[in-house]
Amino acid sequence: MGVRGWIDGDESGREMLSRVLTERPYLHLPPFQKFPLRVGNVVELVGPSPCAKTHILMQAAIDCILPKHCGGLGHLVLFIDLDCRFDILRLSQMLRNRIFQANENKSNDDEELFLECMKRFLYIRCYDTLEFLATLKTLHYKLQKERQAQGISVNFLMIDSIGAFHWIDRASTSLRLGFDNRKALSLHNVYATVVQEIKKLLLLHPMLVIASKATILGSRYAANAGKWDRNLRTLCSPNSAVSSVTKKVHQFMYREYMPSIWQSFVTLRILIQASDVHISTDKNHNKSVYLSQWLMPPVSFVDSFIVNDVGVFCVS
Amino acid sequence: MAPLKSLEARYPLLDSNFQSFCASNGIFTVEDFLLHDLSVLTAFAEQQPNSDRLKEGITQLLSIIDRQHQPWLNGLQLLEDARQNKHVLSTGFEEIDKLLGGGVREGQLTELVGPSSSGKTQLCLRVAANVAIQHVGRVIFMDTGNSFSPRRIEHFIHQISDSVLSEKVMSNILCYSTFDIFSMFDVLQQLENSLKSQGPKGDCKVQMLIVDSISSLITHVLGGSGPQGHALMTAAGFLLKKLAHEHNIAVLVTNHMVAGEGGTLKPALGESWKSIPHVRLLLSRDPGNKISNISILKHPSLASGEVARFVIDD
Repeated sequence: MGVRGWIDGDESGREMLSRVLTERPYLHLPPFQKFPLRVGNVVELVGPSPCAKTHILMQAAIDCILPKHCGGLGHLVLFIDLDCRFDILRLSQMLRNRIFQANENKSNDDEELFLECMKRFLYIRCYDTLEFLATLKTLHYKLQKERQAQGISVNFLMIDSIGAFHWIDRASTSLRLGFDNRKALSLHNVYATVVQEIKKLLLLHPMLVIASKATILGSRYAANAGKWDRNLRTLCSPNSAVSSVTKKVHQFMYREYMPSIWQSFVTLRILIQASDVHISTDKNHNKSVYLSQWLMPPVSFVDSFIVNDVGVFCVS
Repeated sequence: MAPLKSLEARYPLLDSNFQSFCASNGIFTVEDFLLHDLSVLTAFAEQQPNSDRLKEGITQLLSIIDRQHQPWLNGLQLLEDARQNKHVLSTGFEEIDKLLGGGVREGQLTELVGPSSSGKTQLCLRVAANVAIQHVGRVIFMDTGNSFSPRRIEHFIHQISDSVLSEKVMSNILCYSTFDIFSMFDVLQQLENSLKSQGPKGDCKVQMLIVDSISSLITHVLGGSGPQGHALMTAAGFLLKKLAHEHNIAVLVTNHMVAGEGGTLKPALGESWKSIPHVRLLLSRDPGNKISNISILKHPSLASGEVARFVIDD
């Protein structure tokens, strides 16, 4: 590259601003709405199963695949299913409800819009770590192909859930014969490769990474579950002192089990948890209330939300 | 995974020269290749005299690993697979079917938890009989505690329908006695192999796989400080989910309950197992009468907490 090329720079301030502004995938659903997310962020959703983690991912995916005139982002979503529990019927039902709501007053063709959106949702399941690594290693080509075929880029990379093979990886004690520079398939090496591959992908394809993580080590969670419920009850009563409640919430702990290389890769972390509290909505259905709290950056405020037929909704 | 040497016959680009280049970077198998940073490897290849051929070899290896993951599908393809292949199997109890939106779904792992003598095995036997009759499918029943009773099945068959030949239905319910997790892996792997070789046009399709109870196989291997027990449990869960999805089988497993925090009962097998099944149902029986309650603890599309009441006739 010549000196002039270096001085000229890559883009003007105006170009950069327009790029950055469009690349800011703002998510209006709980628990994301508190922070403006950027592509390149790695968001981790932590919580004991079941706590609506996959539902949150589904709704974020719907926000991404819906076209702009329906309130979406109009981009592709990659969904890597490591839990192998994804239910496409649920996603399509949520999407149909959303389209129905968005088109209520217009005479647009719902079915065509539905098909168009579903094509933007790209899904793969992995039954073991090696399949996951093979997927990540060949993802660049897949992304290029999709970008050419559909003319739009991928905005979200979702992983559900990142710790799915934790115990298998941890127990793998394959001894490597041969040279010293041969890497063993250990927990650390696997996640070092995962992080490295995603980092390389993000350079070429700017995306927001959202990974869910089940809390699989539960002893402290069990001991603290009661505290959360008590906290919420005080939270729900009108005269409660919010400050004293939020202090107590900090006592809620979960045990981290991911290798440090993954932990330092995560830029934002949200803790989610189901509570004992139910609120009644229409049709006499009781919906259980879920709680979410930002752990990174640490914010002491607890959001509560419910899941219904259309998706995830904030309750105040 | 395959050593590079074994791939040479099929892929001439991976010749001895390429192999020795990979070996100098610590790559002997496709698995090693998966853990390696490819940009580093390509940079090394560029310093070699025959760099073009080496880089072609790397691209060849990449296309090999591209076939080692499941195919990418878009939402429409997934939806079509779910609609065409993942049927809902009626349990034979109107109340349970109503609760679950039709019954248990093929492709999913459904877990039935309940305290002892809450009727888990009876429900499994009854569902097995119903699937064998109504859906004319094969049912595989893995019995871990000698609780499988052909007589009980026969009784249920007569209860469900007078007109069917019970022998024909009985021959579609295959029982395997498994007393440890390793023999379960054996049976499941044999099943996977036979389903693969048989293809979708088998004479009688396996529609349901029941493991009663999975917890009695797993609790033995859990415990201790090592991760091996949990690794076996997770591997069993993934094998069951793979069978369920790839061969459109409804998998039903039972789990017992243990004392948890403050003496209340909770499902066994702990937090790590909790994230494995698609559906978790809690079974309990009212004291003093024959009415059983079944409630949803976890479901991919239904709210938890809903309850159905039903009776298993004697």
